[in-house]
Amino acid sequence: MADRPFKYRWWLLGILFVVLGTIPLWGSDYMLLFGLLLCLYMAMSQMWNLLVGYSGLLSLGQQAFIGFSGYTVAVLTNYYGVYVWLSVLIGGLFSVLLALFMSLFIFRMKGIFFGIGTWIFAEILLLWFSNWEYVKYGTGLFIKPAPPPSMIMIFYAAFIMALGSLAVVYLILRSKIGLGLMAMRDNEEVSETIGVEIFRSKLFCFLVAAFITGTTAGVLYVFQIFIQPYKAFAIDWTVILVFIVIIGGIGTIEGPIVGSFLYVLLTQWLADYGHTSMLILGLIAITIMLVAPKGIMGTLQEKTGFTILSPRRI
Amino acid sequence: MQDLLQPILNGILLGGLYAVIALGMNTMFGIVKLVNLAHGDLMILSSYLSLVFIAWLGLNPFWSLLAVAPVMFVVGFLIQGFLLNRVLGKEMEPPLLVAFGLSIILQNSLLLVFTPDARSLMTDLSVKTIPLGSSLNLPVLYFVDFLLGCAVILALHLFFKRTYLGRAIRASSDDEVGARLMGINTRNIYAYAMGIAMMTAAVAGVLVGMTFTFYPHTGPQYLIIAFGVMIIGGLGSMAGCLVGGIILAEAQLLGAHFTGPGYQLLCGYLVLLIVLGLRPQGIFGKA
Repeated sequence: MADRPFKYRWWLLGILFVVLGTIPLWGSDYMLLFGLLLCLYMAMSQMWNLLVGYSGLLSLGQQAFIGFSGYTVAVLTNYYGVYVWLSVLIGGLFSVLLALFMSLFIFRMKGIFFGIGTWIFAEILLLWFSNWEYVKYGTGLFIKPAPPPSMIMIFYAAFIMALGSLAVVYLILRSKIGLGLMAMRDNEEVSETIGVEIFRSKLFCFLVAAFITGTTAGVLYVFQIFIQPYKAFAIDWTVILVFIVIIGGIGTIEGPIVGSFLYVLLTQWLADYGHTSMLILGLIAITIMLVAPKGIMGTLQEKTGFTILSPRRI
Repeated sequence: MQDLLQPILNGILLGGLYAVIALGMNTMFGIVKLVNLAHGDLMILSSYLSLVFIAWLGLNPFWSLLAVAPVMFVVGFLIQGFLLNRVLGKEMEPPLLVAFGLSIILQNSLLLVFTPDARSLMTDLSVKTIPLGSSLNLPVLYFVDFLLGCAVILALHLFFKRTYLGRAIRASSDDEVGARLMGINTRNIYAYAMGIAMMTAAVAGVLVGMTFTFYPHTGPQYLIIAFGVMIIGGLGSMAGCLVGGIILAEAQLLGAHFTGPGYQLLCGYLVLLIVLGLRPQGIFGKA
């Protein structure tokens, strides 16, 4: 790859995170909110990208982890008085358990059927939680941690998730598992014959994605202070993640960052238009798929060879 | 045992409706290996179209089909011709995501135009029943759903067997390059196939509109039903559609009978997961 012209590419990412991380020092409350949303979407979309863009696991059921973890946080803080960040962590671990249970059924499926399987699990959880007295049926729960965390604390929790998810994806892709995943993406049969452990690599990514998506969702619900099954387990979450990753560029590490930024910006602009905003997001997503199916970063990489974090080692 | 007969009968009849919901999606999957994630929303679009024609021309819901079906044919033709054909290729994700985007656009456009209120297509059939013995009643509307569902399946089967276009569609699906060498414009053929799939969706939409209430956001719910039917029955199999529809509907209605109406959908999903785990290719599918 043409590495020379982009000698300072690491700086770009460093500056981005320094700017983001110091928002509480210089930014307004609105900037802080913007940064918080950006971090949350960055972490979750990075995980969807790991599943779809690199592992070939087309998940349409990320909302299963989002809702499950959110409810775990709500129940632990409300009913048991568990410390808020500990319960967020436990929420992530519960997501992993859920992912393990789901994998018993859905890892026999491929492609779109895997997607439908994950979606059906999310729908089952939605029905279960809206019929469950313990979590007050469909009316939802308020999340009232005993010492309420400040906005800045929540922001830094989200910041850690964003940074952490980026680091995890980078490390996975640069590891032996990542090499195997990319070989598998190119040709599944051949990679298996040369010894790539497809099942274990895929399962590993699925569990990692469940953990980070779940933990991030925990932070999200600590911020939102209210959880309700019809919102928490809604397919809308996946729609948002799809949009972010497609716009940014599927199968690139920088794509979800760019996509999240554009998504948060667009939703802030279009906030006054209600449902029209979803309509416009849908139109943009289709146009991008037709004109530049690799998204912004994917097209940029193809045209100029520009990458910040390359999974390639040479 | 006596009180089980009613849910079993209703399940069989509802299965016919579920079959016709899944039919268009199953056909398209069989032909272009495309999973149309907007299928449910396109079906709900035809329910709304029927609503418009009923209000505009004062038609009965059944007659409105004569107007809705051609419109949906054109819609399907355009969607396949201008959107989906351009992203068909080796990879599975692009057409899937385009369909997903289409689904978002459709839902929110319907919401803008028709507001989130519940609608239904009024018909005097919905309250009529025919008594069959002391405790068993045949709900006329469900019976009509079942009969029309079977008729559409049969018609589609004959279309694929007997007509030139049907054979051309099958040829393009079996061997795209070979079909092109024989002078078939395969891309055009796919657009026709989508148009025909959308005509079955139009029938499904009108029947669903008469049988249940619908909102702009009900599409995904029927998409999952269609998936369930496809997966249980087997991909690309028309007989499988009917069997899958009946199994799914029985699972839901019998489940609701034993555990309460709140769990009706849940029981359907559980049966679906069991089938997926045990026989991923479906009952009529080839391994």
